[in-house]
Amino acid sequence: MESQDRYRIALLSAYALALNGFETLIPSPIPWLKPGLANIVTLVTLHLYGFRAALTVTLIRTLLGSLFLGTFLGPAFFLSMGGGIAGTLAMGLITALFPRLFSPLGVSLIGAFFHNMGQLFLAYLLFIQRIEAVLVVMPILATTGILTGAVNGVAGRYLIEAIESREGMSPPSSGGDILHS
Amino acid sequence: MSSERNKHGVTFADRALLVSLVLLTAYCFVFTKKAMPQGSEVKIEVSGTLLYTLPLSHDRTVTVQGPMGATIVEIHAGKVRVKASPCHNRICVHQGWIDSGAVVCLPNRVLVTITTPGRQGEFDGITG
Repeated sequence: MESQDRYRIALLSAYALALNGFETLIPSPIPWLKPGLANIVTLVTLHLYGFRAALTVTLIRTLLGSLFLGTFLGPAFFLSMGGGIAGTLAMGLITALFPRLFSPLGVSLIGAFFHNMGQLFLAYLLFIQRIEAVLVVMPILATTGILTGAVNGVAGRYLIEAIESREGMSPPSSGGDILHS
Repeated sequence: MSSERNKHGVTFADRALLVSLVLLTAYCFVFTKKAMPQGSEVKIEVSGTLLYTLPLSHDRTVTVQGPMGATIVEIHAGKVRVKASPCHNRICVHQGWIDSGAVVCLPNRVLVTITTPGRQGEFDGITG
């Protein structure tokens, strides 16, 4: 991994962490119902720098995010990390298999869906172990996944567009410029 | 950018995905509503023996025989009550309609509880 990549990953992780922390300030009717704004960063990272960078950013975000918020090694931490990995894997897989099929919006929808389903599956395995509880929550999580996935996808698309147009003006070798260092 | 994208950059696959996800979610809602046990069950025990397990959603009136005589339990509109009891103080009758918890008639040894199927031995909430 080049030092420039490390720099990018560190910067992107910082953005993801900021969004992660910011969204805890947004009031939500259900505590675990969050917009998942950090997924915008995962989406952008995946689109611009590939799967490994996206997964690294997600892992750093969930790990440090849980340390910042005080949920490290608690249930929320495992669910957050499991969901993050599931979502990133799904998004990476879909872009690897069908690179031009989906726009960032579609990729984000898939990511949000698998994030929620992965999280639910993990919650079932680790904490709930009641299929009826999972069945009740599943449609709700699917609905919120569609909503947040769409919103994040649109946000990610504009971000990617902005970064790419900037990249077009300046040579891509000056990687720091892309994310306004 | 591939040619099939419109000016918003949304592909046909995006739309198809969105529609199928929405349909899947709608189906999920319908399916879980059907798969879920409809409401709760009413269990009627006399002297510690389970006599009836009835769905709370079906209106019905049953009569059970206790040591003092017949106790009439009525299920109506998702609620249950002890309609008549041979006991003296009739606490059970005065308790009226309940939709959770239990009605107990100690003198006649009748116990009417509302439970969720598959959740025996675990109390989620007790009122009354």
